[in-house]
Amino acid sequence: MMKKREIIACLKANEKISDYELSIVQKDSRELFYVLDHLEINRAVKIEDITVKVYVSDQKKTGVSTVIVTAADDEKSLNVKLKKAVTKAKAAGNEYYPLPEKTVNLKTKPSAKRDLNMIAVKAAKAVFKADHYRNGWINSTEIFVSELHREFLNSKGIDHQSEEFRIEIECIPTWSNKKEEYELYKFYESGKIDYRKITEEIDEILNMAKARSKALTLKDIELPKDLKVLVKGDMRDEIVWNLASDLSYANVYMKQNHYQKGDVLSENPFDLTMRAQVAGCSRSRRFDDHGVVLSSRKLIDKGIVRNSYGDIRFGYYLKEKKISGRLPVCVVKGEGTPYRKGPHLVIENFSAPQLESDSGYWGGEVRLARYFDGKKYIPLTGFSIAGEIYEDLKHVEFSKEQDSSPSYQGPKYLIFKGVKIS
Amino acid sequence: MLEGYLKKRIPDAEKLVGELRKYYDYVSVLGNYVKTKQIVVSTHSNSIDEVDNECGFVIKVYKDGRYAEYSCNDIRGLKAKDVIKAVRLDDVVSGDFKVAMLEEKEHTEDYLREDPSDLSDRQITDLLNKTRKQLEESDDRVINVMTRYSCRQTSKIFVSEKKQLSQKYDWVNVVLLTVVREGDVIKSNYHAEGEADSALALKKFAEDAPGVLDIALKMLKAKPVKPGKYTIITDPSISGLIAHEAFGHGVEMDMFVKNRAKAIDYVGKYVASSLVDMYDGAASCLSAASYFFDDDGVEAHSTQIIKKGILQTGISDCLSAMELGTEPTGNGRRQDYQRKVYTRMTNTWFGPGKDKYEDMIRSVKHGYLLCQTNNGMEDPKNWQIQCTASYGLEIKDGEFTGEMIAPVVISGYVIDLLSSISMVSEEVTVHGSGMCGKGHKEWVYVSDGGPYLKAEAKLG
Repeated sequence: MMKKREIIACLKANEKISDYELSIVQKDSRELFYVLDHLEINRAVKIEDITVKVYVSDQKKTGVSTVIVTAADDEKSLNVKLKKAVTKAKAAGNEYYPLPEKTVNLKTKPSAKRDLNMIAVKAAKAVFKADHYRNGWINSTEIFVSELHREFLNSKGIDHQSEEFRIEIECIPTWSNKKEEYELYKFYESGKIDYRKITEEIDEILNMAKARSKALTLKDIELPKDLKVLVKGDMRDEIVWNLASDLSYANVYMKQNHYQKGDVLSENPFDLTMRAQVAGCSRSRRFDDHGVVLSSRKLIDKGIVRNSYGDIRFGYYLKEKKISGRLPVCVVKGEGTPYRKGPHLVIENFSAPQLESDSGYWGGEVRLARYFDGKKYIPLTGFSIAGEIYEDLKHVEFSKEQDSSPSYQGPKYLIFKGVKIS
Repeated sequence: MLEGYLKKRIPDAEKLVGELRKYYDYVSVLGNYVKTKQIVVSTHSNSIDEVDNECGFVIKVYKDGRYAEYSCNDIRGLKAKDVIKAVRLDDVVSGDFKVAMLEEKEHTEDYLREDPSDLSDRQITDLLNKTRKQLEESDDRVINVMTRYSCRQTSKIFVSEKKQLSQKYDWVNVVLLTVVREGDVIKSNYHAEGEADSALALKKFAEDAPGVLDIALKMLKAKPVKPGKYTIITDPSISGLIAHEAFGHGVEMDMFVKNRAKAIDYVGKYVASSLVDMYDGAASCLSAASYFFDDDGVEAHSTQIIKKGILQTGISDCLSAMELGTEPTGNGRRQDYQRKVYTRMTNTWFGPGKDKYEDMIRSVKHGYLLCQTNNGMEDPKNWQIQCTASYGLEIKDGEFTGEMIAPVVISGYVIDLLSSISMVSEEVTVHGSGMCGKGHKEWVYVSDGGPYLKAEAKLG
């Protein structure tokens, strides 16, 4: 691959390029793929992705075109690509916007060399430690252990570096009730090595598969009307991120937003803050794709919409004084509601949680839920829920229990009423 | 023609295979060079870009009952010892199951399918711009029109001791998204064309554009469906979505290996109405997933999955076929050179029937014509299905009432849904513009389609 200085030399040599951005991502990963407890294949990935954005600007227009630098490129071929990119950027001009200027350059100390193979093997051991049930087992497991080194430079002097480490595990637990086998889906992602947590989470999903094998359907049980429905995990993250996206500079500028500054969003006051770095959230980033140094931005304060956030282009168009950058983590704070005593339905696992941002439709086919009838939890499966998120958010409540995911921190459950169950 | 860079790397691949064969029983090298030109013209943003480009190699080795792979940017100068070191596991957690070794037949061939149109960026941009302006000016409620042309040029080489294959194929997609707003109500509608020829894709796109906006505007008044069981007619895109989710994922044979698919117990049995035929394969039709050989170096196939309602067979990559003792069907696909091969669908579609569309509509007492794929999810183990149509048009006593519902989620038990199919239209349309994930990752380009189908389904 071409060296950074060689690429920059090519960029500087082309006088028609007004500005540029250069992103270099080096990835080193080790991957294990299991069928049951048999290792079927192991993989190593050692690659470098280099992307150049070429800007051609005047006072009125900013045009940009992306060039991917591959191993096939040398100085000659890159110069040809850059020349073409200038033509493309000129042809596709947009309303003028500037690139961010250098404020501080972020560097990270190189972390101690990790043995990725060893970590992957230990992660596999942690997974299979939970695999000890007679009627339940792990059907397949995929383990990805990666180190990413990111470098971002632009023509304004920004020169950031960051290191990321990630363990990702996809796991399919199965449980047999002797008549039929039932499976669920688990995706674990973390920026920290915590083998005990891996075992705990795999054990939890195995027991959820067990619950699904015993679950009743709506033919077997009548649910009360106006049942409180609790959602967590992917569906919760989808709902919160949809709300944040609605308030992005891009959506506000394009008038595709449902909420405006000053709108009272909910009768239950809650805060939604976009943050750069949150402990336990593996999508945390210090700078965004344009090199903007990230901190935080409170979008919703006590249930009232106060701010937008997003990338420099649409922030500039909206004349935002301090552009937040694309912040990667949603943090929600809301007063916990005591829900445990009354009947409620906890949605544990969807086939695929859905949220359609235009119409506000949200819901999907439920693989496993737990219905609390006032005395005990009853597992349920094979039904759908559907709601309208812009209505439902007006009355949203929150659990006291807290949780985090790669891009969310806050109440474990969002609690809704009036959701259709069928 | 094949990307020149890959051509130059064939001798390097042969050399590496030779070196690594001293240490492994099987070695192959796959080289990918994918270039995608994308032109976006929209109300708020324009660009002419390269996107989703990739250039890299995968070295696959086999020894002692297990495979390993190494993905890298380049193979020139790559030493056997580098690969060995990268894939070596000193402390393996594994049962004692051993996977058999790939047995290949001698095969050397070069394949080519290129976009016959030679349109300049300016010509394409002008055409997209014309459509954008036309739609923006046609109604005050239009807040965003996004048009996107992309031409993906895929070059691949596959080199092993017995095989030396190369292929280059192009595929063009043109997408239109219209967003409309009335007060606080925002709706959008999209349409995508997929063709092997840029000029044809752009021609169809321009013809379809006014209808796409018309639907978006009608969606402003759409109501949610009252949950319940209905008679449905599915348009070819929804038929394709059902094919894909119901018996596409369900017959990916790596799921058979993992005992994750109920279908393994139903081969030779009825799984659908006897009116149903279903196919998959890179060679089954010309569409988004029509390649010449897969990422295992196996030639493209056309596989009949369901024949007159009876499940015939699944589809497989090499590894799954080895483990099941079957023949691979050319369905081994990677998202890109950094990822593993899985059994993946290609072009998946229901075969034609004998009914006329008009007769099908006339036969509905109360139900909906469901249109436009939104998304779907499968459950191959327990055969639950979830498919979302962007909208539905109400039919009462054989006629459209003018009422629209949106969006519409179809859910239920796969066999119930497929067994309820009672009418199948004569003509098949395959939409070459989709992408499909496995679980929640591993995205590949796919197509799906079929005729109009009449069935009974739970809507929500």
